[in-house]
Amino acid sequence: MTRLSHTAVVERNARWSGAFATEPYEAAWASEAIFFVRTLDPAPVSAQTSARVQISPDGMHWCDDGTVVPLPAEAGLAFCRVRHFGGWLRLVGEVGAGEARRVIVYLVLKE
Amino acid sequence: MTPRRQATTAPRTWDDPALSRFSPLPRILCFDDFDRGLCGWGGLIGNYEGSLDTLLPEFRDLRAPMLSNLSMWDTGTVGGVDGTYAMKLATRPQAGSLSVGIKRLTWRYAGRIQIEAFFTFKPEAVALELLETDVRAFGFGIDLQVSDRAAGPAERVMPHLRYLNALDGRPQEKWQFKRAVEPLRDIGGSGKTRSHFHLAPTGWEDVPGGDQRLCYNEIATKHNWYYVQIGFDLATMSFTTVRCNDRVFDTSGIAAMRFAAMPNLWCMFNPFMFVEADRGTRAFLYVDSVLISAELDS
Repeated sequence: MTRLSHTAVVERNARWSGAFATEPYEAAWASEAIFFVRTLDPAPVSAQTSARVQISPDGMHWCDDGTVVPLPAEAGLAFCRVRHFGGWLRLVGEVGAGEARRVIVYLVLKE
Repeated sequence: MTPRRQATTAPRTWDDPALSRFSPLPRILCFDDFDRGLCGWGGLIGNYEGSLDTLLPEFRDLRAPMLSNLSMWDTGTVGGVDGTYAMKLATRPQAGSLSVGIKRLTWRYAGRIQIEAFFTFKPEAVALELLETDVRAFGFGIDLQVSDRAAGPAERVMPHLRYLNALDGRPQEKWQFKRAVEPLRDIGGSGKTRSHFHLAPTGWEDVPGGDQRLCYNEIATKHNWYYVQIGFDLATMSFTTVRCNDRVFDTSGIAAMRFAAMPNLWCMFNPFMFVEADRGTRAFLYVDSVLISAELDS
């Protein structure tokens, strides 16, 4: 049987400034995931930050999974791998004061 | 109108327990059981050219479908009608936020088509309250265009139906349709791309006799599944059936959006579903399964 897979675009051309959190995404059917964060031009001038993967039992209460996506200052693609995450996934983080970044975030899931 | 008791002759679909709860037309085009994945239902995006910034603002953040097992904070997993997963459409936690799932097909015979689904809806259970007016609406539609060799007018036709559950915190509990066409706007500078936000809150009209109280249940984490059936005739581009559970609505007073055909959409057949939040709570539409069927061509 072919394994189920799905790519979700959880943010599209979204502007992150200050604290950010992606919308909860349900992934109970999947056993592995990759978050891709594509920072679009114009890139932030100096901001290097990161986003943390969070998991949840109910889509409302969250805790850190321990996985982090480093987000470099320049435009481009970053990612992290996640496994054994239960039912929900999201990314959270904070962009430095006065900075902003425009992003597309993909959640790539596989059974 | 409540349908009369049906004859007990077993329809052929009774051979298959998964199909026996549907009443399809003779040719089954798709049976989308979301235990097998999203089955081609994806997110909706408006048209753009050159930059995503050219998207109409209303199209920029339509939330895309996901697979859900309906896990609740207080009771755990609800699951689907006959399995674990359902397609879930989830809005952002803000009034007017929309989530849309769409499947992109083309049609091969200008006869009757029918969409059936088992679905349920709820707001996110963010408070120990009923929250029954936090979901503004959910709905069903089809984006259609005639054949490039159609004898009649070259038209794009978009039947839209929604159940308006609440508006600005006040219960509404009625079915509506929309035939008003939103303005077509040019996108980019090539002259090839246009866009119109057909799910705008304007222009909805009440389905005659379309008030219906559903089984919302008593707290936000209890889900009851509903049945919907929508029939449409591609020959006349008119509704043939609108049914939800025990209610069959008179289709003579309802109509679809109709406007001039577009250059690249011939024979388009795109069923879609949507849910809209009324307040600062995420609104969820869950769909267990969808059956799309059609009249036989000769």
